[in-house]
Amino acid sequence: MIDFDQIDKLIHEKGRLSIMTLLSTRGEWAFQDLKTELSMSDGNLISHLRTLGTAGYLKENRDESGTRPRTSYELTTAGRKAFKDYVEVLGEIVKAAQQT
Amino acid sequence: MSTTEAALENLRIIRSLMEKAHIYRAVSAPAALTGGILALGASIWPVSHALAKNTEAVMSETSFLTLWLVILGIASALNVLLLAKEAASRRQPFVSEGMRMALRAFAPPMLVGGCVGIGLIVFLHNLTLAALIWTLCYGLALLSTASFSPRSLPRLGWAFVITGLLLFFAWAANRDVDLLSSDLAPASLAMGLTFGLLHVIYALAVFLTKRPAEVQPK
Repeated sequence: MIDFDQIDKLIHEKGRLSIMTLLSTRGEWAFQDLKTELSMSDGNLISHLRTLGTAGYLKENRDESGTRPRTSYELTTAGRKAFKDYVEVLGEIVKAAQQT
Repeated sequence: MSTTEAALENLRIIRSLMEKAHIYRAVSAPAALTGGILALGASIWPVSHALAKNTEAVMSETSFLTLWLVILGIASALNVLLLAKEAASRRQPFVSEGMRMALRAFAPPMLVGGCVGIGLIVFLHNLTLAALIWTLCYGLALLSTASFSPRSLPRLGWAFVITGLLLFFAWAANRDVDLLSSDLAPASLAMGLTFGLLHVIYALAVFLTKRPAEVQPK
C-alpha cells in the first residue's frame, strides 16, 4: 500500500517539477536557458527557484567575470535524491493503479 | 484529478522535458543530403576518369583540397541556417545549451582531423590518407555527441568510423596504389563512399523515420 504522504509536496507542483527535471538532466542551467525552456516569467521562475533553494534542493552559482553577470543553478545531492525518490513514488502510484 | 492521473501527468511532464533537454541534432538531415549529393558528384568524376584507364589526374592536389573545403563550407552554412530556423520555430535561442554542448564535443576531433588532413595534402601529398583521416575524425566527432544526440547521429558516427577503418586497411594492404601516378581516384572514392553515400543514407533514414510532430514543429 502506498503512503501518499511520501509524495514530496514541494516538487509536486508543475513549475517546480519542471525545474527539477531540467536540472536533473545535466550539471548546470543558466537562468535564461531555464526561462526559455520553461516559458516562465522572471518573477514566477525566481519564486520557484527560491523555494527550491530554501529547501536545499538546488544551489545558485553567480559568475561575474564576464561583461554581464550570469546566474546558473544546479541540483544539490539532497535535491537529486529528493527528485529520484519523487519519481519512484510516482512510478509506484501508477503501478498500484494498474494492479487494481 | 485523481492521484493516479496526477502521477501519470507528472511522469509525462518529466519524460517530455528530459527528452527535450537531452536531444540536440547537430547535423540537420537536409544539410546532410545536400552535402552528400555534392560529395557524390565531386567524387564520381575523378573515379570514373581513373576507371577509364586515364593515367592523368583530373585535378591537382590543391584543387582537390579547395573543392572539398568548398563542399564543407556549403554544407556547413546550410546546416547552420537550418538549425537557426529550427531554433526559431521552437522559440529557442540559436546558441542554446545544446548547441554549446555539441560544439564542445565536435570541435576537438574536427580541428585535429582538419589540420592533419590539410597537412597531409599540402606537405606530404597524400590525398588518400587525408581523406581517411577526415572520415575517421568526423566519425569520432559524431560519436562524441552520443550522450545528447538522437540515436541516428552516433549510428552515422559508427558508420564513418567502421567504413574509414575498412578503407584504411584495404588501402594499406593494397600496395598497387603506389603504382598510380596520382592517388586522386582512391581519395575521391573514399570521400564519395563516406561523406557522399553515408550522408545520403543518413538523410533518407531520418526523413523516413521522422514522426509527424518533428516534421511540423509547433
